Amino acid sequence: MAAIEVSGLEREYRDGLKAVDGIDLEVQPGEVYGFLGPNGAGKTTTVRMLVTLLRPTGGRATVAGYDVATEPQQVRRKIGVALQEAALDLLMTGRELIELQATLHGIPPREVAGRAQDLIGRVGLSDAQERRVGTYSGGMRRRLDLAMALIHAPEVLFLDEPTTGLDPTSRATLWDEVRRLKEDGTTVFLTTQYLEEADQLADRVGIINAGRIVAEGTPQALKAEVGLPHLDLTFDGDVDLVRAQEVLAGFGEVRADTPAGADLSIGVQEGSSAIAPVIRALDEAGMVVGRVELVEPTLDDVFAARTGSHLEGAGASTADVVAAAV
Amino acid sequence: MTQSIRVVRALVRRALNEILRVPGAAIPGVLAPTIFMLGLSSVFGKASALSAYHAVDFRTFIVPVGLLQGAGFTGAATGVNLARDIEQGWFDRLLLAPAPRATLLTGVVASAALRALLPGTFLLIVAFSLGVAVPSLLGLLIAAVLVMGLACAMACFSVTLALRFRTQQAAPLMQIASFVGVLFTTSYAPKPLLQDWLRVVADVNPVTRVLEGVRQGFIGGVTWAHTWPALLSVAGLIAVLGWFAARGLRRYSF
Repeated sequence: MAAIEVSGLEREYRDGLKAVDGIDLEVQPGEVYGFLGPNGAGKTTTVRMLVTLLRPTGGRATVAGYDVATEPQQVRRKIGVALQEAALDLLMTGRELIELQATLHGIPPREVAGRAQDLIGRVGLSDAQERRVGTYSGGMRRRLDLAMALIHAPEVLFLDEPTTGLDPTSRATLWDEVRRLKEDGTTVFLTTQYLEEADQLADRVGIINAGRIVAEGTPQALKAEVGLPHLDLTFDGDVDLVRAQEVLAGFGEVRADTPAGADLSIGVQEGSSAIAPVIRALDEAGMVVGRVELVEPTLDDVFAARTGSHLEGAGASTADVVAAAV
Repeated sequence: MTQSIRVVRALVRRALNEILRVPGAAIPGVLAPTIFMLGLSSVFGKASALSAYHAVDFRTFIVPVGLLQGAGFTGAATGVNLARDIEQGWFDRLLLAPAPRATLLTGVVASAALRALLPGTFLLIVAFSLGVAVPSLLGLLIAAVLVMGLACAMACFSVTLALRFRTQQAAPLMQIASFVGVLFTTSYAPKPLLQDWLRVVADVNPVTRVLEGVRQGFIGGVTWAHTWPALLSVAGLIAVLGWFAARGLRRYSF
């Protein structure tokens, strides 16, 4: 049985706007599913339907085997949710909030304090647990929100843009926690507008645009669909480019669209492991490479290939381009 | 059942927490009924010389009104607080809990009952120190029950509006029910002194029965004839307004 099963799910508003327009998806138990899309694409509306905060106007969705429209109470027992805005009572302390959440989820009183302490320690808030949440940083609030979502050990965890607005350190901490949850077997439905986040964390990615899923698959498979990684080479001094192409013929296909500033661009199946052999071969042929840049397809390329536009978070990706000055 | 009580208790504790940690925010609501009582008794105090007042001191006559005003303010504040929780996303967190919806609603509304005791207690301390006669224990107990009940009813009304409009900007609307409800009664003058139309309205206004039930402890003595209509009225208000609040919650979520 799939952890999340969605078929033709729709949400239409009174003015006729379809925020979600017949999406289908399936998330297997223990999988981290990245739900990627620009602002207004329908990510949050989809999540709000899956977590029983919003009634679907069409289609069907089950979470942990229960129908979100007809069995919402059963769904709520099985899920943990950290919504886009970490909705916390700023007057309460971190410990009080987690204990309140435990009570709301029906955890027996004798277990509340112990579970709260475990989770507070796990998200690194032990020293701050008696402070009011109003004094917490954005990263601390997010971690507290995550701890609250985990208090009842949910089967399926929904994280709606959990790292938006966080500094890199806080983001890395949350990423580590998501990886740990995956190791523990928790199913995670992660919406994000950060390409890197989806790339790093998700087993599979669904890309949504204008309420419809435009691409779905593993990040590697999706990127492979739009082309191979390629090396952009810039030579020192005058180099016979025809001769250079002959030298590189065994490594891959020379690309026609060499970017501005580079002398030659070659597609390489092996990615970064092709850099050293290529440079060595050119060096042996008497051609000195001044700069080499490995450019890998990104999920933004996938999005652009399917929709003709780019994701807002495309600029936030840092791992897809590796530049090396030689 | 036990779990539901735990949830209600936790939500009430959270609501009371706000008073303890930001006492300044509660001061206007706590002081207002006392200020009304002092101001009105200073302006209209000599009205009690009219025969319809049966020689009852005006201040004593309107202390019960202040108690109901405190309940009204508290009830309206409950809706405003809920609207704030909706705006800030906190209410979504409550709705994501597997607790029954009725439990969540009860937790929100029940907090109003306890909070209503605060302005009432302050008012009584000031009133007693100014010479208002201390009612019997039974009279005080009935007054407390009715004040808490009216606060719940007004909270149901304001919660309905909070769920409908989902914004704190609806706060003035939330205060209307208690304002009108308390004003169109025998609050400030005995029935014979009211104009004909107001006498009719006061007759059908259930808050009049509640007021008379609170007032009986301060003027005369506690009688069953005044108590049961008051208890029935407040129960009816809670039932009707509670139904609207529950319907509002069903429409808000599912």
